[in-house]
Amino acid sequence: MQSYWFGDVKDGRCKVFIGDPDAQINRLRAISTSMESFVPLEWEEAVLCGACSDRVDYLARLQAVCIAAAERSIREQYSRKDAELLQMVRTLDEIDTVINLLSERAAEWYLVRHPAFSRKYRRTPAHLLVKTMREKSKGALGNVAGGIEHLAETRTFLAKEVSARANDVMPNTSALIGGLVAARLLSHAGGLLLLSRLPASAIQVLGARTALFAHLKTQSPCPKHGIIFQHRRIHNAPRNIRGKVARVLAGKIAIAARLDYFRGVTAPDFLEEAQERIDAAGKRIKP
Amino acid sequence: MIWIGDVLLSQGEGGVYNERILGGARVWDPHRSKLSALYHVGNGVELTAGMRVLYLGAANGTTVSHVADYVDVVYAVEFAPRPMQDLLEVSRRRRNVIPIMADASRPEQYAPLVEAVDLLYQDVAQPEQAGIALRNCSYLKNGGILILMLKTRSVDVRKEPAEVFQDTLDVLIAAGLVVQECVWLAPYHHDHAAIVCIKPVV
Repeated sequence: MQSYWFGDVKDGRCKVFIGDPDAQINRLRAISTSMESFVPLEWEEAVLCGACSDRVDYLARLQAVCIAAAERSIREQYSRKDAELLQMVRTLDEIDTVINLLSERAAEWYLVRHPAFSRKYRRTPAHLLVKTMREKSKGALGNVAGGIEHLAETRTFLAKEVSARANDVMPNTSALIGGLVAARLLSHAGGLLLLSRLPASAIQVLGARTALFAHLKTQSPCPKHGIIFQHRRIHNAPRNIRGKVARVLAGKIAIAARLDYFRGVTAPDFLEEAQERIDAAGKRIKP
Repeated sequence: MIWIGDVLLSQGEGGVYNERILGGARVWDPHRSKLSALYHVGNGVELTAGMRVLYLGAANGTTVSHVADYVDVVYAVEFAPRPMQDLLEVSRRRRNVIPIMADASRPEQYAPLVEAVDLLYQDVAQPEQAGIALRNCSYLKNGGILILMLKTRSVDVRKEPAEVFQDTLDVLIAAGLVVQECVWLAPYHHDHAAIVCIKPVV
């Protein structure tokens, strides 16, 4: 028997599928064909079956079924919890870039208006400088500074949401390295499924693409860490053991990501053991 | 194929991706489409009105829309949801584009939908491109044509493109396909090669 989208054909006799569009999509997904005994379908069979009247009708019906099936697949993929987190964390990182760019430019502009002003020997954080610029500038520059401040508020708000969502979508990974970093790993991997399939060694250098390919192509040293450098236990570790801590941490993240994907709930035993192991790696300093 | 001077065109409803219109026909830009680049640097394959095409790696439906202007029907296979949204919009406007959301490396997924085709066109960013093409050859009629757009960098970034190209060619020839034309798509697309083969009549 050969099963086609419009029905089943057996020994020259066929049975047209009758049902609503949803049932038809379900059937389409259930049909499995092995390529060994494969006979490409002939559209004339559909006419003989009475599923359609002519070729134009055949294509129109087939197209309708295919569009409906694809729309449903898209909806299913987008309704997964990590799909929106991916966009949220990418937006967050892009807002950061934009804020930095705009602040730098506004500062240059401010310098032209105030020739006596300099940032040397001052420890003014960027956001305070932006505030000063807004208060002391008239016209468009004040507006721009105000816009940057507003963007910074949006960023803070979004960062909280990203963290909260990451804790929900990937509880184990977030517990190990924090929601934000976990979400960034997810964004670089392209999704929770893809992250859970990555080997630890790949997770370790995720986000260090330039350095990794420079290493593969030339003799330059291999990068020790990518995004996971943002985690305090790596950037606070002494230089000579950072690579070791990064390796251990990446190994545990790989396991955590798999737990997140397949279980989706916190695994306290694993977390406790993993934290201990990572802390231990940070303490072993070579003489 | 429709040419005005050295501009390749296709006849159909315009405005798919803000393409230029020339003499009432849509300009098919070789910088955007690898198939158009093939027609510019090599001979390619004459697209005719009766052709049935299986298109693997349809992406946003840009090239698909041009192919659909020429042929009877295009079965457009795409895996990722984001480009699929655009492809669906293209198929809603063109009655001869059949969008299929499936993995091109698993042709059995769309066996109940696709008929035997005259042309198999493949443009996928996967490491194992020759294997995918061969598996999909089951859909190709005897005497049908395979156009493989080889993305050498997707196969292996560390290997020389020429080496990847030779390896792929060896695989295709070993599988019994007759190679008709091989060209690099420079200057339009770098590290991309087009391989045109015929599935011999047994």
